[in-house]
Amino acid sequence: MAKKKKARKPKPALVLGVLSVVLVVLAIIFFTGGGREKVERFIDANVPKTPAVSEEPAATKTVTLFFLDDDDDFLHRETRQVAAGPTAAEEAERALAELIEGSEKGLLSPLPPQTKVRQVFIGKDGVATVDLSRDVSEKFAYGSTMELAAVYAVVNTLAFNFKAVKKVIILVEGAEKETLGGHVDLTRAFLPDYSLVAR
Amino acid sequence: MRDPIDRTARGAALAAALLIVSAVCPVSGQVPTEQGQRIQTVVIDPGHGGMETGAKGKFGNLEKDITLAISLKLKALVERNMGFEVVLTRDKDVDVSVESRSAIANNRKAGLFISIHANGAVQKKAAGSETFFLSLNATDEETRRLAYLENNSSALQSRIDPSSDNDLMMILWDMAQTAYIKQSSKLAELVQEELDALLGTRNRGIKQAPFKILAGVACPAILVEAAFISNPEEEQKLAAEDFQAKVADAIYRGLARYLRIPE
Repeated sequence: MAKKKKARKPKPALVLGVLSVVLVVLAIIFFTGGGREKVERFIDANVPKTPAVSEEPAATKTVTLFFLDDDDDFLHRETRQVAAGPTAAEEAERALAELIEGSEKGLLSPLPPQTKVRQVFIGKDGVATVDLSRDVSEKFAYGSTMELAAVYAVVNTLAFNFKAVKKVIILVEGAEKETLGGHVDLTRAFLPDYSLVAR
Repeated sequence: MRDPIDRTARGAALAAALLIVSAVCPVSGQVPTEQGQRIQTVVIDPGHGGMETGAKGKFGNLEKDITLAISLKLKALVERNMGFEVVLTRDKDVDVSVESRSAIANNRKAGLFISIHANGAVQKKAAGSETFFLSLNATDEETRRLAYLENNSSALQSRIDPSSDNDLMMILWDMAQTAYIKQSSKLAELVQEELDALLGTRNRGIKQAPFKILAGVACPAILVEAAFISNPEEEQKLAAEDFQAKVADAIYRGLARYLRIPE
């Protein structure tokens, strides 16, 4: 009897042990799986531009930036690699950051180097809204020619590289501003102007 | 697929509207020969001012000071020789918003508007003088405004009270310059010819740009960029009184030719 009892006693414990392991595994699957679903729903609800992950297997995107040359008034192209995806707006932010960072070939940057890209938003209507830090208007004392170059370097960089962008609105520190330095009207959306670009 | 077709149609409509506007405007009492008689007030706008210095020169000269000096000289010339009332958008070193400057011109029923600037560029070699008039960066929004303008040109000519709360009126006011592009272009051309003849600076020609100061002005309006303050050689010229007097004289001669007044 004693032997039988001794032999039977471990059995329920074993069953309990197995059950608890299964429970823990189920719990892990439940919580992590459910959690991921919640995060995905969160992304969907808050980012209107769906990340085209499958369309961009490459990790980088080639962008064309527009700089000034010492010898003429035109904007000159320079290509650069930026990290790709997940959204066009984020790629646009990186492209503008590179534009502000300056040329790798000794061309001149039309924007103050202290400028930060606060955000780029690309609307479904094709209007990209670029929010730049106040440095863009405070760190340069613009003349007309310089201000035109600064504005169109930004506008052309966005419209040239991102198909979704048809027009560009520039904000300074999150708000609408009349001009960067007293000349070019920022209160209206800009179409790109490639007549300012060297052939 | 519906959208692009729609847009093309709208584009064609805009082109037609623009053609009609440009064809109709000169006939409706705005012919150059009549301008001399119609104009009573010339508004001169010394660029920048106050905290907003404009472009800076290597030797410390500020665009705002040079534009005011030239503007005061031009004011004296126009008052003495043309007999028009001259209003300055600022007569000392103060901040005036771009919007207020156009409002001053419209409130004082300006017949001509001249904004005076000195240019600046990151390129040290950049040099020369140029004259701008407004470019219409035509967008869909503007298409609607232009269509409205075309249908209400008489409302524009009778001039709008800028204190009006009426939204449509304010929109119209905002783009008032669209009705004067042709005259502004002619004025720019004549002033630029005189700048080229008198200053001895490189002729950068007449250009169009979406300048805020020009957009809201309801009369022929230009922006003169006399030489580059960012170019050390031209900065020293700009700081000299005889060069400033030459700039004022060149603009004055351009105005006189536009108004067909014997100089």
